[in-house]
Amino acid sequence: MIESQRHSYHLVDPSPWPISGSLGALATTVGGVMYMHSFQGGATLLSLGLIFLLYTMFVWWRDVLRESTFEGHHTKVVQLGPRYGFILFIVSEVMFFFALFRASSHSSLAPTVEIGGIWPPKGIAVLDPWEIPFLNTLIPLSSGAAVTWAHHAILAGKEKRAVYALVATVSLALVFTGFQGMEYYQAPFTISDSIYGSTFFLATGFHGFHVIIGTIFSIICGIRQYLGHLTKEHHVGFEAAAWYWHFVDVVRLFLFVSIYWWGGI
Amino acid sequence: MATAMFRSSIRSALRGGASRVTPASKRTFASHASVEEEAREAAKWEKITYVAIITSTILAVVNLAKGHSHSEEPPAYPYLHIRNKEFPWGPDGLFESKHH
Repeated sequence: MIESQRHSYHLVDPSPWPISGSLGALATTVGGVMYMHSFQGGATLLSLGLIFLLYTMFVWWRDVLRESTFEGHHTKVVQLGPRYGFILFIVSEVMFFFALFRASSHSSLAPTVEIGGIWPPKGIAVLDPWEIPFLNTLIPLSSGAAVTWAHHAILAGKEKRAVYALVATVSLALVFTGFQGMEYYQAPFTISDSIYGSTFFLATGFHGFHVIIGTIFSIICGIRQYLGHLTKEHHVGFEAAAWYWHFVDVVRLFLFVSIYWWGGI
Repeated sequence: MATAMFRSSIRSALRGGASRVTPASKRTFASHASVEEEAREAAKWEKITYVAIITSTILAVVNLAKGHSHSEEPPAYPYLHIRNKEFPWGPDGLFESKHH
């Protein structure tokens, strides 16, 4: 920290990333709509927008790592900001998933005559919840145990053990994604088979997407732990990843109980 | 007057006295436990992870050994295999072609 600074706040430098992220998001949205409506150049604009967004994410988080880990700007007070910000982000994610669950329960609690007045709709062969779906609930729970192991290892100053624990976390996450892909491939129904298929793949698909994000987040934490970025006293990035991972885990529990189990019998 | 004094004494008792108040900058979120305690917790969760991995592996083997059942094609109800307009990439979605 700069010697002359007499307060514990981080006065950030001007950054180009907010505007570049906004432009990337705009290109992604417009390109996505154009692509889905088969406009010429839609796929190109969508790809450019996504590349721009991913680039912005990379350089922005790189800057944050430089400011926090190498320049020491993230004092205890500064750490409160990302913590509260991340908690609010997870709260918004809870609301997002609530809408997906509500779409499913709205359609299943009083099935319309158009789908035979029953749930699952007539002609839909559902998956047995106690086969792959149950296993794929147990695997994220195991991964959650591994991330807790990593957390205590970091707090105990056992750096190597923490890396091993994060390797276990990520491996279980990848196994989950593998089984989920297998389940999707073998499923006797698709996203275009009635409201059942639509709500099933919307909810489980967005959950799977969040698992992939959480996996990348945990991989980054594992690399940072290996490089010695995370200390006993300062590991906000890891804590955010752990919170996120537990959130994704809880969503999976709700998916299993309400969509696979209750909605599948 | 007496009730107000009683209330304020209850309140300060609940707070654990004024001396316990810590500024925001001193807050530690993760844990107040000692290093030895954290090491014990880490060892405990390591064991839990191993047990969970073993259980998952057994379940995975059981599930994979079972294979998956092929259900017969349902009648062509109007709400199945919905096609309102063409996808930009062709006739079927990512997991939609079923040739197995």
